Amino acid sequence: MSAVTKPAAASAAPTRPAEPSKAKATLTWIALVVIFGGAAWLSNAKWSEITDVFTEGWRYLGLMGEGLFQNPFTEPWSGYWTLAFERMMESVYMAWVGTMIGAVISIPFGFLAARNVARPVTVQITRAFLNLIRAIPELVFAIIIMLPVFGFGPVAGTVALGVGAVGTLGKLTAEALEGIDPGPVEAARASGAKGLPVLRWAYWSQVLPEVVAFWLYRFEVNIRASAVLGIIGAGGVGQLLGQLFGQREWEQIGITLAVVIVVTLIVDAISGAIRHRIIAGSGQHVSSKEKAEASL
Amino acid sequence: MIELKDVTVRYPNGVVGLDGVNLTIPDGEFVVVVGLSGAGKSTLIRTINGLVPVTSGSLLVDGMDVASASKKEMRAIRSKIGMIFQSFNLVKRTSVMNNVIMGQLHDIPSWRAMLGAWSKEEKEKGYQALERVGIVEKTWTRASELSGGQQQRVAIARALAQDPSVMLADEPVASLDPPTAQMVMKDLQRINRELNITTLVNLHFLDLARQFGDRVIGMRAGQVVFDGTGAEADDAVFEKIYGRSLTADDTLAEPA
Amino acid sequence: MTSQVTTASAPVTPRPKKPAPSIPVIVGLVLAAVFTWWAGHSMGFSLRPLIENWSNGWVVIEQFLSPNWPFIWRVWDAWVETIAIAIVATFIGAGLGLLFSFMASRVTNRSGWLYRATRWFLSVLRSLPDIAYVLIFVALVGVGSLAGILALILFNIGIAAKLTSETIDAIDRGPLEAVDAAGSGTWSRARWAVLPQILPNYLSYFLYVFELNIRSSVVIGIAGGGGIGQVINVQFSRFAYENVSAIVVALFVVVLLIDQLSQYLRRRFV
Repeated sequence: MSAVTKPAAASAAPTRPAEPSKAKATLTWIALVVIFGGAAWLSNAKWSEITDVFTEGWRYLGLMGEGLFQNPFTEPWSGYWTLAFERMMESVYMAWVGTMIGAVISIPFGFLAARNVARPVTVQITRAFLNLIRAIPELVFAIIIMLPVFGFGPVAGTVALGVGAVGTLGKLTAEALEGIDPGPVEAARASGAKGLPVLRWAYWSQVLPEVVAFWLYRFEVNIRASAVLGIIGAGGVGQLLGQLFGQREWEQIGITLAVVIVVTLIVDAISGAIRHRIIAGSGQHVSSKEKAEASL
Repeated sequence: MIELKDVTVRYPNGVVGLDGVNLTIPDGEFVVVVGLSGAGKSTLIRTINGLVPVTSGSLLVDGMDVASASKKEMRAIRSKIGMIFQSFNLVKRTSVMNNVIMGQLHDIPSWRAMLGAWSKEEKEKGYQALERVGIVEKTWTRASELSGGQQQRVAIARALAQDPSVMLADEPVASLDPPTAQMVMKDLQRINRELNITTLVNLHFLDLARQFGDRVIGMRAGQVVFDGTGAEADDAVFEKIYGRSLTADDTLAEPA
Repeated sequence: MTSQVTTASAPVTPRPKKPAPSIPVIVGLVLAAVFTWWAGHSMGFSLRPLIENWSNGWVVIEQFLSPNWPFIWRVWDAWVETIAIAIVATFIGAGLGLLFSFMASRVTNRSGWLYRATRWFLSVLRSLPDIAYVLIFVALVGVGSLAGILALILFNIGIAAKLTSETIDAIDRGPLEAVDAAGSGTWSRARWAVLPQILPNYLSYFLYVFELNIRSSVVIGIAGGGGIGQVINVQFSRFAYENVSAIVVALFVVVLLIDQLSQYLRRRFV
């Protein structure tokens, strides 16, 4: 380290540097305020109606609460609870089967999109395809292809979730494959192993825990996504919610939302615990950023 | 003036950090605390500014009782005690000036602190503190761009900007190379002399302890086992404090 | 699979037995298989319609393959609305999310009960899908972009707070110790010892939330929250697939552009 100071005579030390201009920071803040204000105006939102949230909101919240505090073992409340639970489980099934479909299909795509596995041309084409799927919301898959083929109901939603999961899971699998330790691959190649066994034993076994954790995370994301699909008639609790809101059945809405919250929290807790065990056991780490990516 | 009367600190995991320590440190003294790691040096310093709670006994800093202080009183006491750390503990992603002003946060209203709207006086204090450690030309540099020695001087300036009556330094030179360590220790000594700030420094290099300690306190297993001047602290004393014979690792400079 | 280990020399020491596969893994796999079967069975899952009704789908796809391009420009105001909704919701939602993230981390929140209450509140907030929020706010303030904005705000708070509070948990504690030792208050401490450390990550999450909001625009609109999704809903119910397809393609391009933009901005933050 080069000495910069004569310790004793501090008062005769170098002159104070001028404070850097704050113009850039100020301009950034002004730009942000303009963007926000402009967007608030261009969004055509009727901001004056926001008071309804507080006036109406309390009333509806009260109604929803009333539904929750009725004796759940008497009609019609017991029926409401059962219906909500059945439909929520249907959403969970849709999410699970959809994720499984997506997971299985995503494996070959993951390999084809990994730079250390496939040739550059193949990687480019596969990545473009995966990005295409990622950019299209599941809802659009369901509308365009699944509903006409499978008709209204949970199967259409399930297949749409499966197709939608391929893009994200394929990309994350590819990234995991690119991050592996190349040692075992070289060792296997050096001993004369052929293509497929190398992929299975040198590549796949290294990424398996991480990839399974991504599957489970996607399952958690898909539980919420399946509710969205219900709104266009693709089954699950979303369909029920759509109907109930249409009829303004606030007591029953309260019960249904409570079931959605509780079941989601339980499934999240189970899935999260398994993910942590898998990841802890493998010594790998999934960052918040990767989690963010998994839901895009 | 710092007064410890029969102070014991027991950590939640049962480890005893301080064991019945009695000490009186008058205003303006420069005290070096030595001992092996785990001997209680660090606990002593952290107890004085309340980062570690006292289990029993009484601890007064300038007449204020640290052991029984409420949260608010504790913050007021801490604002008068500057602290310097082994790893500097600067916020690397912001300017040196902002780091120095962090020493004054206790006295800045929250809304101004939120906006980073520092007053002229606060900045003036920051400049003066930086001038005292001779690094004022780096005022508007990002802390991450400084060398280790420069970062430690910024940390000293941050403590100075508090207008402290007591300065605590926990192994301030352990992460620095020997010439820089000497320089930082000289800075601390000069500040102690010029501003009459009571200074407690944890060290494990015995040559630095002898060179700078007006008074040397030796600790072992949470107890004070030596209390005397730097001149009295010869090798035999250190061997007693460390409980083993001395090695080359115990000195900063190569043995002449 | 060729997974045999070649044995060259005669074994001197007795060969160890192959370890039994771990019980939890086997139980887990069996449970997963049973659950998959049960789930598929109870919803009547079958891929047969894929073959039988393919022609139904093909009719729709054919219409989709001839998009009505000019339609994209005819609804330009809906595009503006979608982007404006996403911006407003991101600013408010991610902004409040930052506030909540400080309350949802042990590092910055020193009050035990407030920490637990915040964590609980946030997990409940995250457990509802975005569509549920849209339905709620459409019922409260009527159909339109205000409902969409309010729904996205709640949705965004949950995401931004979770990601940011995880980042706060992982920061360097040194500066915190330093400002604590100087007697700083809770807010100043969060602003100066924590915020500078998490800022690059937070800005990255901010952009991520914005991308998510653009992607959600279809959902928002279909449930009555305004924007381009509302146009899709109308065209869809009129079976005007050529218009829907033009919009979907354009949305794809918008998403890609925003993806590129936010990648560029992210590189600049770090």
